[in-house]
Amino acid sequence: MSGRAVVRALLVVAVALLAQATVVLDVRLGGMSPDIMFLLPIAAGVVAGPVEGAAVGFLAGFAADLLTPTPLGLSALVGTVVGFGVGAISGSLVREVRGLPTVVALGASAVAVMLYAVLGAVLGESQFLHVNLPVVVVVVAVPNALLAGPAVRLMRWALTPPDQGSVAGGIR
Amino acid sequence: MARPRRSRRALTTLLILLLLSVTIITLDETGHAHFFTSGLKSLASDIYSPLRRGVNDVLDPVGRLFAGAVDYGSLERENQKLQNEILAIEGQRSAVAAGQRQLIELERLQATDRLPSIVSLPAVVAQVTAQNVSDFAATVNIDKGGDQGVRLGDPVVGPGGLVGEVVTVHHGNATVRLLTDGKSEIGVSFGHRQQATLEGVGPNRSLQIQYVPSTAAVSRGELIETSGLQGAALPPGIPVARVTSVHSVVGAADKQVWAKPLADLNGLSYVEVILWSGSS
Repeated sequence: MSGRAVVRALLVVAVALLAQATVVLDVRLGGMSPDIMFLLPIAAGVVAGPVEGAAVGFLAGFAADLLTPTPLGLSALVGTVVGFGVGAISGSLVREVRGLPTVVALGASAVAVMLYAVLGAVLGESQFLHVNLPVVVVVVAVPNALLAGPAVRLMRWALTPPDQGSVAGGIR
Repeated sequence: MARPRRSRRALTTLLILLLLSVTIITLDETGHAHFFTSGLKSLASDIYSPLRRGVNDVLDPVGRLFAGAVDYGSLERENQKLQNEILAIEGQRSAVAAGQRQLIELERLQATDRLPSIVSLPAVVAQVTAQNVSDFAATVNIDKGGDQGVRLGDPVVGPGGLVGEVVTVHHGNATVRLLTDGKSEIGVSFGHRQQATLEGVGPNRSLQIQYVPSTAAVSRGELIETSGLQGAALPPGIPVARVTSVHSVVGAADKQVWAKPLADLNGLSYVEVILWSGSS
């Protein structure tokens, strides 16, 4: 990632965190709130590949961890894995498939939530498995799927060099 | 040649970031460097709280106006000018109604919740700034922190009874773990000095009362209060919950007892932090 891309990615993460802590947090569906911070590594992985996906996942996760009363580093770990995974899988998929980011965001968000719950429980946060996990999965995955398009455009702005349409390994 | 190099770079990046994440988790969990990680969280909270408040102040009236528009439906289509006026009035009315609700709650809190057991203890009234910031934890953020005397473990009461206890303190704000959080565990008493433990099992779910012997007399509707045993984390006599169901299982040593918090944990606007940790 170039210096310009790092600065832009940090800016996107900061704005997304503010949106998450204000507007998104006020949206209550079944008592739960969507989580757009998981969407950032997914979009980065789709746009730029596994390295950028993992890096943005770590950044976004760490930033989210700073404002939540859950273990510091847990979201960073999940974001890294999800961003890398999405980047690796997206690179091998047919690039021209319409709506692919939406499908990827839906599936990867669901995986991220479940991974977060399981890893949290492994780390001693057993109450993570007591929440209504299917509801959390739906409340996080569906809005993220709907927001996948704008998120991909935002990440393309942040991570794509000015002289290139897309970065190697990502989807155009 | 370029492809294996690229995948090697990707795997190296993944490995470094995973190790970094695990290191941060370990530092945070083991306690050796907890002061450092909690300091980071405190710094982030101090930076983001004013920003969050600013954004909320800007967006709240817009949201209320939008809510007013949604409520009106199709009737106002006949007259565009009238619709605009009604939407504006509705937005103002929503803002006033929300303000009145908060005022009533604040008055209720001040009038009724100075319970005999805590009336002599110092307290600060705090506004709830955010609710359940994570889907995996039942917490609220309040606008009072260490600068106002709030300390870790301080009990927090709302209209009706106990809300939870302070689990994170920053300079100007704090996080309160609600009774329903899976990590919440407090000593309670009911009936004739019967002691038990009240545990949360997750956001929006009933509270479970543990260690109630099968011979204990407990009935639906019974009031549960903090026990305040010697060395207890909370002062005695704070109303907490009411029993909603009691089940006796044949052969089991304990009864299965469930309760509902007296305070409306999903509709908190103002709470009172009892400065108990500092005074005990």
